[in-house]
Amino acid sequence: MITPLKALHKNRFKTALIFISMSVSIAAIFLISAISGGVVSMYSSMLKTDGDIIVTQKGIADTFFSDINRTVADEISKIQGVKEVSALILGAAPVEPLPIVGIYGASENRFKSYTLKKGSYPQSGEVMLGSKIYETLKHPETISLSKKEFRVSGVFKSRIGFEDGGVVMPLSDAGEVFHKSASIFLIALDDLSQSDTIIAHINKTHPEMEAKTTDGFIDSYNQFKIIKTSSDVIGAMAFLMGILGIVSMMSMVVNDRKAEFGIMRSIGLSSSTIIFKLLSETLIIAVLAFAVAYGVSLGVLELIEHAEKFQGYINGEITFALAIKVFIVSVSMALFGTLLPAVYAARIDPMSLIQRGGA
Amino acid sequence: MKIEALGVEHFYGHEKVLNGVDITIEPGSFTAIIGESGSGKTTLLSILSTLLQPSEGIVKYDGKILSELGNIDRFRRHNIGFVFQFHYLISYLTLRENIALGAIDESRVESLLQSLGIAKLSHRYSDEVSGGERQRAAIARALVNAPSVVFADEPTGNLDTKNALGVYELFREFSHQGTGFVVASHDKKIADYADIIIEMEDGLVKKVYK
Repeated sequence: MITPLKALHKNRFKTALIFISMSVSIAAIFLISAISGGVVSMYSSMLKTDGDIIVTQKGIADTFFSDINRTVADEISKIQGVKEVSALILGAAPVEPLPIVGIYGASENRFKSYTLKKGSYPQSGEVMLGSKIYETLKHPETISLSKKEFRVSGVFKSRIGFEDGGVVMPLSDAGEVFHKSASIFLIALDDLSQSDTIIAHINKTHPEMEAKTTDGFIDSYNQFKIIKTSSDVIGAMAFLMGILGIVSMMSMVVNDRKAEFGIMRSIGLSSSTIIFKLLSETLIIAVLAFAVAYGVSLGVLELIEHAEKFQGYINGEITFALAIKVFIVSVSMALFGTLLPAVYAARIDPMSLIQRGGA
Repeated sequence: MKIEALGVEHFYGHEKVLNGVDITIEPGSFTAIIGESGSGKTTLLSILSTLLQPSEGIVKYDGKILSELGNIDRFRRHNIGFVFQFHYLISYLTLRENIALGAIDESRVESLLQSLGIAKLSHRYSDEVSGGERQRAAIARALVNAPSVVFADEPTGNLDTKNALGVYELFREFSHQGTGFVVASHDKKIADYADIIIEMEDGLVKKVYK
């Protein structure tokens, strides 16, 4: 352990370059994974609130485009095993001076899921604001939405960034703004084991609609797949960039230390000993880079979360599982990036020491 | 360990640098290979020490050719030591750590530090000691696994006369204790210390004398 640390200290300039290169790559992986995970997690949490089953327009790619008849909600609520049905309109529109804000039209029974901080739930012609947007808009008494004024009836707090930075209004008012009846129904069940029967019943009696368990919907939701795939691709690019950075820096390190590895070969140290020595050096850097990247990522996520321009919509989270995944990625990056230069180091011909000596 | 070179020839590209060398190095002897630059002494030393494969001919170690010796790294570690013109001490390790670097067991490190007169410097780094002290540490590193033979290529090339003679003295001293030394050098003073002198000229052994 001491020898690799001494070697790193001796070559501290290149060690610092490898460390910075790895830290940046690891932080990039952390941030892209945390932010995309946060988006998916926030939207999933929103749908899962009082929603064991979700109903959308059949064949629609995105819940924002879904349009279903809100009166069907009453019919579904009478099905045996259904505890409650809430209807939602999911939309986005400019709210002066913000260019885009999440707007949620909700049936009255849905309001209870919002924790009021101030005022009351909205009646017709009124809205309630998430605490984040309430602060951003500097405590407005009214807001202008689709060329119409709405009185702010109350302020709620939500741990879901999309909601905390959004506007909630009665379903009928949202219907007028977005020219639709409802986007989705969220169905809470008395007994989860009945979900398949209820889903089959809805899909049969309303072929224009599509019912799924909320978990099933989240797993197959196209937008989530796009976000996840994009995040994986960017993460993979950061991983490859990290590896390339390590390969090029370690190649320079090996070249600088050619005599050192040559002498090791001449005194009979095995190739695996030399490879292990170099791997242990980069593993130390990887662990330190991981720790720094973790701290930096937490700081950046905190800044993003509180940055006014993002309205609380970008709300990354570094879960324990993500931290473990990125740690494994960091170690792999170090191993893959070092392997080739290490093999080269292990094959340095001790003859080069004699030739270098000039004899 | 007895080393025999039989009909050894070597080419660098099309240039023939060894023209058929037949020599025998007796176990425990202090053998000096001398000659002018380009005479082939370093190439011969490299071939005898397993670092270089001859283009033609064979080298035997106690009657066995290289391919019969098994793992070459293991063979070198147990049987051969090297001293180069430059000390090649690893700069981030102390002298003691350098000496112990390839040690199979470290029991000889302290006694070598004592016998080479660098015990008090053992915790210093190579840039904190003199050239002669560095080369002594390099010699200790070569001797740490009690090899049968130590090969040295121009080991005094970077030393002043006093330190150079000190190195030859050490070689003679350890050779009397049973370690063989094969030293390539253009320094004729080595003849006063070596048991056997092999004089090279134009890739051939010109003469062998005691």
